Parts: sequence; structure tokens; C-alpha cells
Amino acid sequence: MSCDRARRLFGACWDDELTHAEREWLEAHLAGCARCRKEYDEYSRALELVGTLPRAEAPPDLVERVLARSRHAAVAPDALSAAPARWAPALAAAAAVVVLAVAALLVLPRAPWRGPGADSSSPVAVTSGGPAVPVLVSGAGPDADGPQGLRPAEKEAVAADDPFDHSADVEFILDPVSVNRGRATVSHAGSRQADTEGERTIISF
Amino acid sequence: MDRVARDDEKAFTELVRRFQGRVINLVGRVLNDRECADDLAQEVFVRIYVHRRNYRHGSKFSTWLFTIAANLAKNEIRRRVRKRNWFSLDALQEMLKDSAIQLADPAEGRESSLEREQLQAAVGRAIATVPEKYRLALVLRDIEGLPYEEIAQVLGIPGGTVRSRINRARGMLKRKLQPLVEKAETS
Repeated sequence: MSCDRARRLFGACWDDELTHAEREWLEAHLAGCARCRKEYDEYSRALELVGTLPRAEAPPDLVERVLARSRHAAVAPDALSAAPARWAPALAAAAAVVVLAVAALLVLPRAPWRGPGADSSSPVAVTSGGPAVPVLVSGAGPDADGPQGLRPAEKEAVAADDPFDHSADVEFILDPVSVNRGRATVSHAGSRQADTEGERTIISF
Repeated sequence: MDRVARDDEKAFTELVRRFQGRVINLVGRVLNDRECADDLAQEVFVRIYVHRRNYRHGSKFSTWLFTIAANLAKNEIRRRVRKRNWFSLDALQEMLKDSAIQLADPAEGRESSLEREQLQAAVGRAIATVPEKYRLALVLRDIEGLPYEEIAQVLGIPGGTVRSRINRARGMLKRKLQPLVEKAETS
């Protein structure tokens, strides 16, 4: 613990920012702790090496080059500020496209989508070639007390989610483009029966 | 700077002469590339001249200057990373290892000045392997000697973040330089 404290003080010690009390404590600790003493020695040696790096000398013609370029820059300002009108329409069009795209993304995922052969009361699993990303959705099934065909443990697990059950809503939390491209099949969560009734299902993409 | 803003070319010349070394040093240490540092320093001063009327009176000129230099250095680092040229971390670490091996053999009878130059080159390369955001803070503090408050202004980050970055950078540098420190002590 005291070694950690000592090492946290190395930086302030190197910068000469320690209080008198901190410095006394650190010196006492270093006197009694060979590991921290070695650490501080390596720390200060590394920073000494950085401090001994030679200062770069500016090339003799730098001032002249800067002056020549500055005069030129003063006469011919950079292209961006010289031609704002040419960029403005393209920029506005690009901004409009982005706004429309964002609006579409915000609206489309909330639109209920019905896969082929599925109705609003039947559980649906949509699959595509990509990796499976399970998304829990709920549908309005005829059995409001609990899903059919589930083992007791699964029923408990589902029941634990009840506060989050928005029974009438079906929300796709995935990219709507992927949803539309998906191949819809009917599956039955937790059951191999042909019965299509149930409240919950997993949609994978 | 007031005179520069009033298009006094002589004042601008004085300003370039006075600060050119510090700018080259900062950019050169951040990039570990002296030639590029000269070009970027030139660009820094041209920008100072072009935007001379945007300088806020009362603020410290060196802070403005270092902010421009640090931003150009950052852009250059990113450009190099995009182009994936020599600025490969692995390559630099390999070079650092080679330097340590060279320095490890005093029997070769190298002159001390040559060893010192090699050591300095190795330290420069070690600095260049520190990640950019830590490296800039480290160079501004431990090479340019700027106070923490000014570094915070130059980098546009809180003072606490500056301290934390510098501490992390120093820790990284210590680990990178450890073989060199040990060899230098034994030789």
C-alpha cells in the first residue's frame, strides 16, 4: 500500500510539486524500500535522458521560406475560403440526404413488419445468413397467463420478464433493411410442437 | 504580435526567429523526424501569419503557437498512420531493441560521442513509440518545459487529464528505456 502511494508521488516529486510533508514521507519510504528506490532511480534516469536530448537548430533559411510562403498566402488565401459558393449547394444536398436517411432509420424500425405466413398473434423467427443476434419480442397470444409448451424453468424465466412485456407491440431492434431481406419461418420458442401459439419468440438475423 | 497583426513584416521575422527552434523541437520530438519538423514548423508560422488577426489579445502567444504546432503534428501522425509508412509501432520498437543491442557492447570501442548520439536517437525513438495523446503531453512537459496549465490550454483538455497523461507517458517511457538505462549504468 505504501509502495503504491510512493509510486504515485514519483511524478510530483520529479516536478518538484510535493508538499514538505509528502517529500519527507517519500524520502523516508525510499530509504527503507529498495524496490521503490530502484523504481524511482529508473524513473528519474529515463526522464534525465529525455532532458538531455539536444535542442533542434532551425535551418538558416527557415525565416526566408516562411516569409515567402506567408506573402504568397496573404495574396492567395486557401481554396476553401476562396470558393464557398461552389461548395454550398453540394454541401446542402449532402446534408439533406443525410437528414432523410436518419429520418428513415428512425421511422422504419418502429413500423410493424409481418413476415410471409405470419400474423400478429403468432410467434415469428426470422433468419438470415448472418450470425445470430437474438432479439426478444413479444406478441399478443391467446394464452395471456403464460406461454404454452415451455418447461417449468423456462416459464419462470419468461414470467420474470413480465414487467417488460408490452404485449401488443412488436419491435424490431435491428436494421430494417436486414429485416426485410430476412427469410421468415415459423418457430416455437421452447417447444417442438406444431402449435403456433405463444407469447414470446426469438428473432434472429 | 500586435505589430504582426498590423502587417509589420519585421516584427513577424523577429517572431519566427525567436520561436522557430521551439516549434521544430516540439514537432521533431513528437514525430521523431527532423526533416518533416522543418516543413511543419514552416507551416505553423505561415498559419500564424495568415490568421494573425484572429490572435486574441491578452492570451499567451506561445500557447497559441504550440496549439497550432501540436495540431499539425497530430494531423501528420494520423496521416502517417493512414498511409502505414515507416511510422509502424512494431518497426520502431524493433529499432529501439536494435539500439539497445548496439549500446550493449562496449567492447566495440565506440567513441563516447557516438554512443551518446546513439543513446539520444534511441530515446527519440522510444518517445515516438508512446501513443500520440500521451506523447504530446510528455513532449510539451518534459522537453518543452511548459507548465501543466498551459499544456491543458494547448491540448484543450482539463488539467487533471494532463497530469494523468503525463504520468502514464512517463511510466511507458520508463519501461521502454529501462534496457538503455541499465546498459548505460553498466558501461
